[in-house]
Amino acid sequence: MMEKLYLIARIADTRVALRSRAINSVVTVGTPVHVPAAPPHVAGLFALRSRVFTLIDPHVVIGLPAVAVAPGQRVIVVDVADHGYALLADAIEDVCFIDAPETRVTGRLLPGWARVADAMIEYEGASLLVVDPSHFITLPVAKAA
Amino acid sequence: MDDLLNDFLAETAEILAEAGGALVAWEADPADRAQLDAIFRLVHTIKGSSGFLSLPRVTALSHAAEDALDQVRRGNRPANAALVTAVLAIVDRLSSLCGVLGSTGQEPQGDDSDVIEALALVDDRPAAKAAPVVAETAPTDEDINAELQSWRSIRVPLPLLDSVMTGVTDIVLARNEFARLLRESGADASVIASFDRLSDSIAGMRQSVSQMRMQRFDMLFSPLARFVRDLALDFGYKVRFSTSGGEVELDREMMENIRDPLIHIVRNAIDHGIEHLDERVAGGKGITAHIDVSARQSGNQIEIMVRDDGRGLSPDALVAKAISARIVTAAEAKALTPREKLELIFRPGFSTAAKVTSISGRGVGMDIVKANLEKIGGVVELRNDEGRGLTIALRVPMTLTIISGLMVRAAAQYFAIPRGSVREILLETSDSVRIDRVGGGELATVRGEQFPLLRLEHVLGGAIDDTDDQDDRAIILVRPGQGHSYALSVAAIHDHEELVIKPAAPMIMATGLYAGTTLPDNGRPVLLLDVQGLLAAAGVDASEAGRSHDANAEAEAEVAAARDVAQLLLFCDVGGRMRGVRLSVIERVEEVPAAALFETAGTVQAKIGTDIFPVHAAAAPKGRDAVKLLRLNDGQSVLCYPIEAVIDIVRLPDVVQAAQEPGLIAGVVLIGGQPVELIDPFWLMAQYGAEQAVPSSRQPLCRLSDDVDGWADNFLAPILRNAGYRVVSGDKVVEGERPDVQLCFVDGPAAPVAGDVPLVRLRSSVAATGPDDDSIYRYDRGALLEALRSRVAGARS
Repeated sequence: MMEKLYLIARIADTRVALRSRAINSVVTVGTPVHVPAAPPHVAGLFALRSRVFTLIDPHVVIGLPAVAVAPGQRVIVVDVADHGYALLADAIEDVCFIDAPETRVTGRLLPGWARVADAMIEYEGASLLVVDPSHFITLPVAKAA
Repeated sequence: MDDLLNDFLAETAEILAEAGGALVAWEADPADRAQLDAIFRLVHTIKGSSGFLSLPRVTALSHAAEDALDQVRRGNRPANAALVTAVLAIVDRLSSLCGVLGSTGQEPQGDDSDVIEALALVDDRPAAKAAPVVAETAPTDEDINAELQSWRSIRVPLPLLDSVMTGVTDIVLARNEFARLLRESGADASVIASFDRLSDSIAGMRQSVSQMRMQRFDMLFSPLARFVRDLALDFGYKVRFSTSGGEVELDREMMENIRDPLIHIVRNAIDHGIEHLDERVAGGKGITAHIDVSARQSGNQIEIMVRDDGRGLSPDALVAKAISARIVTAAEAKALTPREKLELIFRPGFSTAAKVTSISGRGVGMDIVKANLEKIGGVVELRNDEGRGLTIALRVPMTLTIISGLMVRAAAQYFAIPRGSVREILLETSDSVRIDRVGGGELATVRGEQFPLLRLEHVLGGAIDDTDDQDDRAIILVRPGQGHSYALSVAAIHDHEELVIKPAAPMIMATGLYAGTTLPDNGRPVLLLDVQGLLAAAGVDASEAGRSHDANAEAEAEVAAARDVAQLLLFCDVGGRMRGVRLSVIERVEEVPAAALFETAGTVQAKIGTDIFPVHAAAAPKGRDAVKLLRLNDGQSVLCYPIEAVIDIVRLPDVVQAAQEPGLIAGVVLIGGQPVELIDPFWLMAQYGAEQAVPSSRQPLCRLSDDVDGWADNFLAPILRNAGYRVVSGDKVVEGERPDVQLCFVDGPAAPVAGDVPLVRLRSSVAATGPDDDSIYRYDRGALLEALRSRVAGARS
């Protein structure tokens, strides 16, 4: 059943579906700590209980200008390679079972989205991109290289 | 039962390793009561646990060792090397038993009476010679039991420990939040007081929990001592092993990861690094090789250095080996830089497959060491001083490390700096600081010492916040590593606290500016600055060399002076006496086959290579295969002095009891309480020097005239050549050279005196013809040579 569970969220101005097994939790953040000289998609650091998480701004990953973090904004916490990250979400809609199968991405996407999208899925009469949160973290490093 | 057995095995393996180290330390200093107590406790623990698991052999062995050690503790038996060896044998037997236990789960059948009896045998020695182990009164059983209680330990699974740790950190954060709320609500003083009590105990708990995860380097170093001892014995080397930085702490997991690489490097140091005794002497080194292992916290890293004073790496030899192992082609090898040549040892397949010894043949090479280190984010560095030693530095990142950190502010944000690399903190407005702008860069001069100045805001790519109070700006003198230092300017110094450092996300670490993150009590993450990375980012050369400050030069001069101190080579001469000679006159120690020594004309000569050297000996040695020779060199001639064995190199004492008469023995000195005869190289050389041809750049030319019957050529010329003259006969003329002296016969044909060449005339009769006769009897060797010498000298002056 877990495979069918998705988090529907609005990140980088786009509604997307995230596979729930890739997600650790959804929390709210206060003011993050700025990291000078870090890559542009690093929005800062924040602590959740005793762990320090790196906040990622998906806007920058997609190629949009960075947005300021509003206090109390919700973030999607994920673990990638033993490090904790959080993706800034514009809005968190729902966690739901989607019975429809994931399908291949059809149509031409913006380059930024093409990199992070794995598949598409049909949900409540709309097509959503299924994105892998780890792509938001690893990609810009590759881009910088 | 299996769990119990596994715990026992893990614990015992640890204890045995520790006991081995402690035993070696104890052997070095039998009066060290603390070591003895430690060993006793370790053995006692094994005995206790094994009895519980019904392992009769283990129990019997540990009981025997415990018994013997207890007798020493109580002053009933002496502590000596034999006892240590016997206990080490028991430790080894226990190790092998545990090995079998681990693989089969059964204690193997067998008989341990050999090692136990060996221990008992030592016991038979007279107790009267008891070492002064027990200066204080022997401890009572209660004391011993109390000690055991304080030492005991248990094993806990790692995840449990981690969850306790996270839990405590969460409690701390919750406490802080609670404290804030409490202050804002204006709570009752008694509530605040009781909360403070809670708060203090939480702080204490946090500290203890952090320490649970950490391990001191002592745990890693103590088994090494045993390892080095055994290895050195195998090779017949004398090795002094020292460690420092045992109090530095590292995450236990990390510690496990560097254990094998470290052992391998130490093994290499002994196996490949340290030279043979004779080679060390020839190189002017002490007989006792020195291996030093140290750990220290350097910035955000822990640096473990293994230093030996052996032969170091030879880049050319490495290249040759790499080519023969087909790791590089000759053409590739040519293109290698010196550094790359050294780093060939990290290539897979380079390692010593060709000579698998019992020690190094474990199949691990430096490539594995490097790979293991890199797996945990560490690096291996070589600092090679060919002929003088090799230092291998392992640097591992501090993950989950507790460091003392200095909190500073810059660009309205807090950062932490490892306290260990901070040398000094000064206010920018302080009188002892002068800041100069030089060609766009900044320079801080602190009490005459110059430092490149970095402003933290600029290095981090920001601007200085104008709202900050300029009077708060501080300068931190940072020393990221040996020989480097710089001044870091920050907006303000906050405070310093103990920080738990965790690695930051890879893309943050990739900036090179940060060494990790930490979470202080206020719950806002703080970045730990990488003091070395800041330098790299700023592109500043922070090397202290050539700065106005000359502390380094002083240090170097000191080292040079220490090197100049006269050293004495102690040796055992062929008669079995201990003698010494100044090391500086020894060219090398040579081992030659006995056949290379031969007697001729009453003296002994040695054929070494294509040269023949005089030997200070009455007769060629008999009944031995090889002879060791000290080769003394006074810059012109060489003399060999046969010895039995080289003993040591020591500092020449200032007080020398001079001998009455000049002779072979210049005097007597006391070395370690023993009288040692000092050889007088001056006298020694004088005995043999005359027989040496003088290898002068210009040998005088002697012309033999009118040699009618060949007497001069056959009888005289060899003597003259031996005395250092070149000889020409008759009318042969050396091109472009005038003879320095010429010889002719009084009773021969009239001498064709060429120009003003000094003349020595020889006569055949013993008696002179008259008082005016200045000729010399032809067989009067002394007079002849003297006459030649004075004529040549006279002509030249």
